Order: sequence, then structure tokens, then C-alpha cells
Amino acid sequence: MESLDHNGAVWNFCDFLGHRVIDHQGHALGRVVDLVADLREHDPPITGVILSGSHRRRQHLSWTWVEEVLPDSIKVRSGAFDSLSAVSTIPGEVLLRKGLLDKQIVDTGGAKVVRVNDLQLRKRNGHLVLSRVDVGMRGLLRRVGLLRVTTALIQWLFGYTMPDNLIAWRLVQPVGSPDILRLKFSQTRLARLHPADLADIIEDLDRPERDRVFRALDIEMAAEVLEEADPKVQVQLIQHMPTEEVSDVLEQMSPSEATDLLQELEAPHAQTLLQEMEPEAAQDVRCLLTHDEETAGGMMTTSFFSQPPLATVKEALEALRREASDLDVIYYIYVEDQQGQLVGAVNLRELLTSDPQAPIESIMVKRVVTAALDDKKSDIADLFVKYGLRALPVVDHEGRIHGVIRFKSLLEAVAPYLR
Amino acid sequence: MNVRPPATTPRTESQKTPRSRQGYWRRLAVILAVIGPGIITSNVDNDAGGITTYSLAGSEFGLRLLWSMVPITGALILIQEMSARMGVVSGKGLAALIREQFGAAVTFYLMIGIVLTNLANTVAEFAGVVAALELFTVPRYYSAPVAAFLVWFLVLKGSYKTVEKVFLGACVFYVAYIVSGFLSKPDWGSVSREILTPRLDFSTAALTMVIGLVGTTIAPWMQFYLQAAIVDKGLSAKDYRIIRWDVIVGSVTVSVIAFFIILVCAITIHTHGIHIESAKDAALALVPLAGKYAADLFALGLLNASLFAASILPLSTAYTVCEAFGWESSVDCKFEEAPQFYILYSLMIVLGAGLVMIPNAPLIPIMYFSQVLNGVILPVILFFMIRLINDPSVMGEHVNGRLANLFTWLTAVAVSLLSIVTVVTAVW
Repeated sequence: MESLDHNGAVWNFCDFLGHRVIDHQGHALGRVVDLVADLREHDPPITGVILSGSHRRRQHLSWTWVEEVLPDSIKVRSGAFDSLSAVSTIPGEVLLRKGLLDKQIVDTGGAKVVRVNDLQLRKRNGHLVLSRVDVGMRGLLRRVGLLRVTTALIQWLFGYTMPDNLIAWRLVQPVGSPDILRLKFSQTRLARLHPADLADIIEDLDRPERDRVFRALDIEMAAEVLEEADPKVQVQLIQHMPTEEVSDVLEQMSPSEATDLLQELEAPHAQTLLQEMEPEAAQDVRCLLTHDEETAGGMMTTSFFSQPPLATVKEALEALRREASDLDVIYYIYVEDQQGQLVGAVNLRELLTSDPQAPIESIMVKRVVTAALDDKKSDIADLFVKYGLRALPVVDHEGRIHGVIRFKSLLEAVAPYLR
Repeated sequence: MNVRPPATTPRTESQKTPRSRQGYWRRLAVILAVIGPGIITSNVDNDAGGITTYSLAGSEFGLRLLWSMVPITGALILIQEMSARMGVVSGKGLAALIREQFGAAVTFYLMIGIVLTNLANTVAEFAGVVAALELFTVPRYYSAPVAAFLVWFLVLKGSYKTVEKVFLGACVFYVAYIVSGFLSKPDWGSVSREILTPRLDFSTAALTMVIGLVGTTIAPWMQFYLQAAIVDKGLSAKDYRIIRWDVIVGSVTVSVIAFFIILVCAITIHTHGIHIESAKDAALALVPLAGKYAADLFALGLLNASLFAASILPLSTAYTVCEAFGWESSVDCKFEEAPQFYILYSLMIVLGAGLVMIPNAPLIPIMYFSQVLNGVILPVILFFMIRLINDPSVMGEHVNGRLANLFTWLTAVAVSLLSIVTVVTAVW
């Protein structure tokens, strides 16, 4: 019995729609218009049925009254008629047709946004549960009523059997209903995604769902997603957020990315955000804002690590350990004299393998490859290629270091030309 | 221990000059970016079918049908405003809204209708390209495949936004119609009399022509395109006032240009009693009447309009269908990531240009047929739009008011009646 239940029958949710609900005496209570599922469970059980009775009034019946699911009707125990109630759901419950069917969902396995063509229900431990989501052509054709004709035709013409495209419910994150995302972000299935994938997903969602998902992210994730998102989408995402929240996210972002984002905004909005940000982070961004986006000054980040020439290797390592989490570039340690002039650089490997007591001055490379503040993208790309760098310091006419261009920023700048 | 450079460093002078120039360009770019979805949609609306119909209306009926552009403009504004409002409030495309509110089956059949209609329109656009270039003695066996490849390549390999701006800039050519309108020295007294005292003409010919005017001015694809463009721009309820102006300005622009095309053809071709059947005929007829340059400008206008619409229609169709069925759709995707999108897009262009290349393909019936299809689909779309815009779960407080509904229903009924008449006359 158990095993039969386990591998038991599979239903397509849409087949339920329009089924009659009848009790023991054969009285029809109405026709099924929707089912209620409790999404808080791992395998969401069906907890109720919405039926349209006399005068097309919609009523709710608890699933506990259901005795048997027949091929063309649902049989309920006697007395069910008296427990019909007005349609209502508790938080966490969702109406399958109204809240999921035909809506967008996130397939966290394939990291993409898809539309729900049908939902597959299955018996598990005696409960009818939501088990899979149909996002394939077969599901769509079944809805349209053309499945048999089309599959037969394709089979006959090409000898090809159209496969089902079903996603296990466990890999799905619904985004339609507001209270689903009231969960802590770490508890949603979206937390499993890479920020870059999540950024793509957010771009693919319709605006209401997009805002909902973005607002559900925690600050670190929001910052990373924002860094990866398309500039136009970035602006849309933060447009309707309270200023304090946006500035928190901006502080988490790399200064160069935050600057790029602020440059996309209208000046008054950008100013408000800058004022709201922590002074130190805001100062970095203000400096970067003075440069043209297309030049070295606009591509660099100010979040690099520098040391005076006389600091010892040990001191430098300790300082690096303290600062590392806030730095954009940690592989190179830049050596800056009292005038702010770049006098040398050490890479992390050398730092780790050198005598802790030695002054940095003694191990640094003195001829550092640098870019000027107004160098063009193409010049910078040439330098990266020629010297095989991971990061390139940017200096002014007096040789003072202003920032560092990361390889990542260069890649982003040249990627459009690679297509 | 200093991690960041001293903040006291003054910025060097050398960066100032390029930056202020940059600021100037940026402001210009912002202005260009603000040129709204409504204006773009309307300019695409002046496509091959549009220019043809307007020329025919002018040369066949003179100034007599000029008045009909007034109610048509009203209806256009009304319908476009609904699309814009839905886009702004729901943040979703029309196809997505229809799918979510009316289910898969309805959407499926509607999409079949949209694909067929848009395909017919695309064929008409390529027919326009071919006709315009034949005026410069380019044979269709060269012009059609080259145009198809150009459109396909520019949109997929270049940037659609650039393409859009180029064509939109080229739309300035339309001023040529207005200039030639003034140059042909119309009797403004009789022009205003014709507009203010509409003469209802219930002859089959006149009725068919009015239907053609409605069908070409209020095309179904426009509602999908406009709403998608607004959603894509990320405009929201706070931008609504500006968008409404954008829609109004766009709709009035399309009508003003249509007005002048009708006017030019009326005073030149009609008064000389020349019978024409296409925009190409119109251009040819203009040579002796208005000079070679006027005719060339007319042909260039037709070419630009047709190419612009030919690059937008297939793209808009592919986006609409993919949006309805939840398929990946972006020109930034690889083929394997968005196969349905690329297949649909390419198929529309290949079929569109291919059908035109069939020897002796009847280009004029094709253009006419595309407008009949527009007429059949439009009432269906209007019905869905009215349902959606009155649904509080979609529109919240922005549902239609009673007056708006009255006018919308009137428009829908009028357009439907006209469509039924079109189909009936087309079948006969």
C-alpha cells in the first residue's frame, strides 16, 4: 500500500479544473476552480479546494473532507456542504491557479526564469502534494488542447517524441505572491544562486516580481547582484527603494561600481544618496565621480592597499589582514611615500615569502607599470596584455597614485567588443 | 597606516575640459533617450502600408476623407494611452498580462493570430522597401535579400537602440511631406472647410478607404510594442504624465504627417485626375507634377519607413511570443539559450523578404491583405485591453474611469464594425 502510494498516480493540476465536487448522496457541491496549497512545507500539501457553486459563488472547502479523487470528479464525505466557507488563505498558502499557473517562477536548478504551464500533483504518504512544475511545450499544448494532435504529427513526421519538461518543486522559487518572499533571504531557494545568475534572473523577471525579489535580498547579496546587473536595470531596481537602504547597499559595493551606478542616476538623486552614505565611502565615490567613465580615472577603484616604504613586511601583512575584507585589490601592495607618490609595488606572494622584519622598500619592485588618469581604454588594455597584470595603478602627472584598475573592470570594458 | 590616497590632492586641470564637453554630450544623450516610446511607436506606424494608404486616400478622394483623420487620431490617442497606462502601472507587457489573466489556451490562439498578422505586415514592409528601391531602378532580387540581411544583421549583431535612433533621426525626412504640402500651395480655405464639415460618403470605395486608414493607423502590433517599450524603459506611475504627453505628441505627429501626405496627393495627383494604385505610382506621378526631387524624397521616405518597420516588426513579434510563453528572449543571448526567439525572429524576416521575391508577387494585394488582418485582430486585442484595464487586480486605482470606458467602448465598437465591414468587403 505504501509503495503504491509512493509511486502513485500523478495528476495535472489543470485537469482538476472544472471537475465536479460530489458528496455521498450524489449531490453536486460545485465545480473546482482552484486548489489551495501550503507552500511552507517541503512537499506542499493541497489543503483546500475552491469551488464555484450555485450562482457562481466561490467557496472554500478544506481538503480534509475529500474522500477520493476520481478521474472526472472529487468525492467528498457527507456533511461537507455545511462546512463550505468564504475564500480565504492563511499566510504561506497559495491559490495554485491564481498565484502560480501562467506566472513567472525561478528555476534555481537551471538558473533561469520560466512560465508555469501546469503543475503536477502526486500522492505522497496519503497526501496530495505539489511535486513538479511543468514548463515544457507538452504542458503548453495540453493546456491548449492540441497535445495529441501535435505529438502524433511530430512523431509521424520526424519520429521524434516531444519530451516533458518538468522541474521538481524543490528547485523552484515562486515569486508571484508577496508573502512568499517574506522569508529570510537565506531560507529562500534564491540563496543558492550565484550573484551573477541572480542578476540575470532579476533582469528576466517582470517589474513587480523583480522589485519583490530584489527587496528580499540581504545587503551583501543586493550589492553583489547590483554590481552584476545591467546599468538600466540597476537604476530601475533602486529607483523606488528608500534612500537609507540604497546607501547601505552602495557602501557594500566596490567604490568603482558604486560610482558607475551613481553616474547613471539623475544628479539630485545621486547627491541625496551620497549624503546618506558613510563619509568615507562617499568620499571615495566623490573622487571617482570627477573622472570620465571612458578613461583610466573612471575605471579605477580607490579601494586598494598601500604602505609607506619603511613599513616592515610583518606590519604590512597585519594591516592587510585587517583591511582585506574591504579591499577591491589585495594581490598587489603599493608603496607610497609621504607625498603620495607611487615608489614601488610588491605582490602578495613576495610579501608572504619574505623576511617579516625586512622593510618593504627592500623587496619592492621600483619600476611599476602605471596608467595616467586620462589614458583611454585601449591604452589600458594594451598595458594589461603586454605586462600580464592583474591590476594596474593609476597615477597623476606628479606620479601620485589615485587608484587601481582591476582586471575585472577592464574585462567589463572590453567585453562588448568581444562579441 | 594609510590605505587610501590623501584626499587633499587637487584634481589636475587637464581633466576639466574633456569633462565639460562630456557633460554637454551627455545632456544631448539624455534628451535623445527621453524621446519616448510613444513617439517611436507612432513613427513606426507611418510604415509602408501607412504611406500607401494615405497616398491612395489623397489621390483617389482628394480632400474628401481628410476629416476622418480627426476621429482616427482621437481613437489612436485613447488606445495608446491605455497601453501606456497598463505598462506603467503593471510593469508587464501586454502578452504577459493576457497570459496571466486569461490563461494559456486563449494566449496560444491569440499569439497565432499575432504572428500571422505581423508576418503579413512584415511582408508589406519589404514590399515597401522593394517598391521604393525600384523607383531608383534597383531590382527586387537585390533589394529584398539585402534589406533582409541588413535588418537581421543590424539588430542581432549591432545594437537595436542605435538602429532605432538612426531610423528615428531619418524620420525627420517626413518634414519633407509637410514642406511639399506647403509648397504645393493648397487652398487652405477649402482644406479647413473639408475638415470642419465632414461629408459622410457611404459608397463602398470610400468606406473601404476609411477602413484602410483606420487599419493602418491603429495596428494591433503597436499596442504590444508600445507597452513593451514602456516596461523596458522602466517607466513607472510617477512618469505617467510625461508618458501621456509622449503618447499624445506621437499620435498627433503621425496624423499630421498622414494629413500632409493626403494633402499633397490630393492637390497634385487627384486634381490632375491621375489614377494610382500604390505609393510607387504616387511617387512616379509626382515627377511631372512636383519635380524629380519631390518624387525622390517621397521614395526615400517610403524606404526609410519600410526599413524602420521591417526591423521592428519581426523583433516585436519574437519578443511578444516569447513573453507570453516564458521563453528566453534577448538579442544578448546565444542561439542555444533562446532558440525560439531567434527562430521566430529569423523566420519572420526570411518569410517577409522571401514572399516579396516571388516573381510577379502581387505586392499591392499583399499590403491590402495585411491591413485586413490588422482589422480582424484589432477588436480582439481591444477587447482584452478593456478587460485588463478595468481589472483592479492588474490596475489597482488606475482602472478606467466611466467616461474613459464610454469612449473606449465606442472606439472598440466602431473599429469592430469597420473591421467586420473590411472583412466582408475583402471576401467579396
